Amino acid sequence: MSAVIEDQESSIQSGKLGRLVVARLKPNEDLVQSAEALCAAHGIHTAVVRGGLGSLIDGNLLYLGRSGMKSVHVAGPGVEILSISGEVRAGETQLQAVVADADGKLYAGRMERGRNLSFITIELTLQEWLPD
Amino acid sequence: MTPHFTQRGDVRTFFHEGEPQLPRVLGCEVPHCEELRIVLPLAANVGESLQRILQGRRFSSAVGRILCGGASHLSYHRMVETGSVARPFDYGAPVVLDGYITFISGALTVGRDPQGKPLLHCHAGFIDREGNQHGGHLVLDKLVVGSEPLIVRLCLFDQVAYQQKPDDETHFNLLHPVLQEAS
Repeated sequence: MSAVIEDQESSIQSGKLGRLVVARLKPNEDLVQSAEALCAAHGIHTAVVRGGLGSLIDGNLLYLGRSGMKSVHVAGPGVEILSISGEVRAGETQLQAVVADADGKLYAGRMERGRNLSFITIELTLQEWLPD
Repeated sequence: MTPHFTQRGDVRTFFHEGEPQLPRVLGCEVPHCEELRIVLPLAANVGESLQRILQGRRFSSAVGRILCGGASHLSYHRMVETGSVARPFDYGAPVVLDGYITFISGALTVGRDPQGKPLLHCHAGFIDREGNQHGGHLVLDKLVVGSEPLIVRLCLFDQVAYQQKPDDETHFNLLHPVLQEAS
C-alpha cells in the first residue's frame, strides 16, 4: 500500500527568548491550566518550559494511537515529575512529561489538560518566546 | 482538617492538613537569565561540584536539566504513605544503586535555603545495568558520575529566588518564588 503525502511547507520563525516567569503551583492546581494562567497574568503570548519538577496526585498522559489519542493513567498519589518540556499558548498548550510512580516506574507522554493536579508542589519556570 | 481525597469530575484532589491559602499559583517575573552548560567528569560528586561551580556567581536561583550522562552510584527517594496526619505522604527510605546507570531525563531547581546557601532540588529518571527503570527525588550529594560525563544545563537568574520556606498547608519546607536581589 502506498500513501500519497502532499508537499507541505515548513514554517520557520526567528526570534529570541525573553522574560522568565518563575512559579510554584500549590496543591490541586492543574499544570497545563496553571501554565496558561501564568502566561496570561504576565502578558505572554507564547512561552517554553525552562524548568519543571514536583509531584502530582495522579498522572494522566496522552499519546497518539492507531485510533486516536490514548490516555495513560499513572496512579498516585506522589507521582513524581522528572521533567517537562513543551510550549505554552492559550488553549493550544502542549506539554510533554516524564514521570515516575511510587514504585519508581517511568511513564512519558503529553499532559492531559485539567487532569494533572499538583500534590505537594510543582516548581515551574517558563520563558517568553518573542518572534522577530 | 483531616487530610483527605475528594473528586473533581473524574480526577482526584487531595486536601492536606493545613488550610489552603490564596493565591494558588505563585509567579514572579525576571527580565533575563544566564545560560550555563556544565560537563561533570567521571567520579565527580554532582552536588559538591555544582555548589563549587555556582560559588562566586551572582545569581538568585536557577533551573535546568540533566541532558545526558551516567552514574556509578546514586541514591533516590520515592513517595510513601506514612500514617501521620500532619504529613500523610513523605519520601521513604533511600533506594541506592551502584554500577552502570544511564540517565533518561532530569530536572533541577537551585533554590536558596534559609541561610541563603544554594539548595539543589532534583528529580530524575534513569536505567540500571539490568535494564530496570527508576525515577524519583535524586540526592545530588550522593550522585557520583560514572561511565560517561554528566551534562547539565542551567539557566541562572537574579531578582527572584526560589526561597525555601515552611508551607503551612502541606507541612513541608518548599521552594517559593520571592523577589530578591542576587547574592
